[in-house]
Amino acid sequence: MTPTPTPSPGRTTDARPTGTRFTRVLGAAVLLGLAWLVLFGLFLSPNDEKQKAGVRILYIHVPTAWLAYLAFIVTGIASAAYLFKRTRSLTWDRIAGASAEIGVLFMGITLVTGSLWGRISWGIFWTWDSRLTTTAFLFVTYIGYLAVRNLGGTHQQRARRSAIIALLAVLEVPLVHFSVKWWRPLHQQESVAEGKLSGLMLFSLFVGLIAFTLLYVWLLLHRQRVLAMEDALDDQGLDVALAERRAEGAQV
Amino acid sequence: MDLSPREVVPTAQGRKRKRPWLAMSVLGLVLVGGGVMVVMFLNNAVDYYCNVDEVGVKDGCDVGRNIRIQGVVQEGSVEQTAAEYSFVIAYNGKEMPISVGSQPSGIFQECIPVVVRGQAVDEGDGVVFLGDEVIVKHDNEYDAENADRLEQSNAEAAACSQKG
Repeated sequence: MTPTPTPSPGRTTDARPTGTRFTRVLGAAVLLGLAWLVLFGLFLSPNDEKQKAGVRILYIHVPTAWLAYLAFIVTGIASAAYLFKRTRSLTWDRIAGASAEIGVLFMGITLVTGSLWGRISWGIFWTWDSRLTTTAFLFVTYIGYLAVRNLGGTHQQRARRSAIIALLAVLEVPLVHFSVKWWRPLHQQESVAEGKLSGLMLFSLFVGLIAFTLLYVWLLLHRQRVLAMEDALDDQGLDVALAERRAEGAQV
Repeated sequence: MDLSPREVVPTAQGRKRKRPWLAMSVLGLVLVGGGVMVVMFLNNAVDYYCNVDEVGVKDGCDVGRNIRIQGVVQEGSVEQTAAEYSFVIAYNGKEMPISVGSQPSGIFQECIPVVVRGQAVDEGDGVVFLGDEVIVKHDNEYDAENADRLEQSNAEAAACSQKG
């Protein structure tokens, strides 16, 4: 009997890196953007008259919230693309999954920075206000979405069930956004759209938005490639199992 | 048709099987967490959110009932004694004296909007709001701290009694 080759966990013969020349340039741009954000957010932008230095949390809190919305919308669009027969491809599913993971990360940062900001300006870390509650609900919804992606089954089963959930979950995004208009919240109304932010403060926010957008794209590209490799590894494992059964059959 | 076994790469089995029980546990926690959030939100909403001018006028904003009241802290109204911290808030030209146990935190100051949770009580010579919690409700306007704006800031502070 021919001995079965011993598997070596963690090694693959197809060890491609997830980086390309483009992502390396993009990575450098992300670092530059974040350095600019530190420079403007911490040093060059002025204090606010009422909130003093506490206003600087704005330059992380708002961009991460916007990027989380964007990430969840991308998850919704990619999920719709997967469900649509003409464009059905697991690549869309992996983009949806990767984008949701990054969205959860950004939304987590939004909640933590918002809580710290709340303590500084409102005097409390948390209250069950409409904006805060809907944001936290959105956060746990997408944690649930990621859990559903890991329930097992074939890649296609995973893609189909998570796509349906993503299309439902994305409906929460406008609910969160308009919660400050539909209810009487403690959370402030929009500042940028209503022109209540100007000068270096607005510019620093813009720098934060650019830096976090680049970071989002960089993370998305890498993460969806990692997910593709994980799927390939799963498929390869199935091939090994089939080959072993065939080998056993041939010996009988 | 060639049915011979394919050449196998000897590393492919290394990947651990996924653990659906972990995903199911997370899903369970998410469902419980979501439910708790809805309950907490509804509990919070039980206390009506009233402007000062709505107290005793609007349904749900009755004197003697637990509510959340919103108004702007009036200039010169803040007083602190050993037993209480008091100030006056106004909204739409109506004023309400507030009494709380301790100094509010955050960026509490004169001329800033606040939300106070508690109960309006009729003390015979007028209604006083006994607050349990004061939350500063800063608006959506951001202004750079600048010495040049001091005059304008002072003018705004002087005019705050008419705000709300």
